[in-house]
Amino acid sequence: MVKFYQQKYSYEYSWNTVSFAFLNRYPNPFATHVLTVDTLDHRLDAQTGELHITRLLRKTNSVPRWARSIMRGNDAYILEEVTIDAQSGKLVSKTRNITHTRLMKVEETQTLLADNSGHTMCKNETSIVSNIGYGLNSRIENFSLSRFTDNLVKSRKGMHYVLDLAQRKGLFGQRMRLDQTGAPLSASSSGTTLVD
Amino acid sequence: MDSIGDECTPLKREYDACFTKWYSEKFLNGERTNDCTEVFKKYQTCLRKVLGERGLTKMIDDARPSIGSVFANDSVDNEQKKSNTSK
Repeated sequence: MVKFYQQKYSYEYSWNTVSFAFLNRYPNPFATHVLTVDTLDHRLDAQTGELHITRLLRKTNSVPRWARSIMRGNDAYILEEVTIDAQSGKLVSKTRNITHTRLMKVEETQTLLADNSGHTMCKNETSIVSNIGYGLNSRIENFSLSRFTDNLVKSRKGMHYVLDLAQRKGLFGQRMRLDQTGAPLSASSSGTTLVD
Repeated sequence: MDSIGDECTPLKREYDACFTKWYSEKFLNGERTNDCTEVFKKYQTCLRKVLGERGLTKMIDDARPSIGSVFANDSVDNEQKKSNTSK
């Protein structure tokens, strides 16, 4: 049984800003379930100019009540692979759980594309596979849809939180700021705050 | 964010800072440089040690081909695979 969901959304920020925010989206107040994030690999393809990043995320695992007898509430691990093409304004992130796969396998692809108006289109595609049986498949089906929509709401709120920071204050104290169109402003000599 | 291994968190922070600066100042401007290689290596050494200690290496390596990872065959992974039981 495979369930497939898709949703599109538009961020009213430049692709440069959104891609930057996406890579730095943790921590945020809407993602308290994400405990640790580590980069496993980081490679810039010298020919294509594409950046490839692989990351390992550790999350708390909220096991639904009906699944607790068959699944321990251990930490959940997620593998994320991101490919970024700055020239064409495209970021593709694929994530998959690598624990609790007997219960279900959730794969998510998120695509960030620069659009013509200087904004960023975000497409989320999720596939959920469960073959556990035990008469649980329909529960998993319903659970997965509600989990998908809940997660999307949370992740958008998280992104907006980080985007707002990036826009107003200069993310992580970086001296190089990005203006509305994503073009870098000249580095400030003193502080790191951005005043519009 | 912290690293999965507490001892690796300072190295991770160093790498993250380097990456953030490089990404916004160079990569987004089309520059194809490799600024963070040294600091990344140090962080990676620590990280791989922690992952090995926690028995997570095989789980991660096994998962990588299926996600379409371009890194499944890189030389560091081959080192890991040599020490794991082959399928």
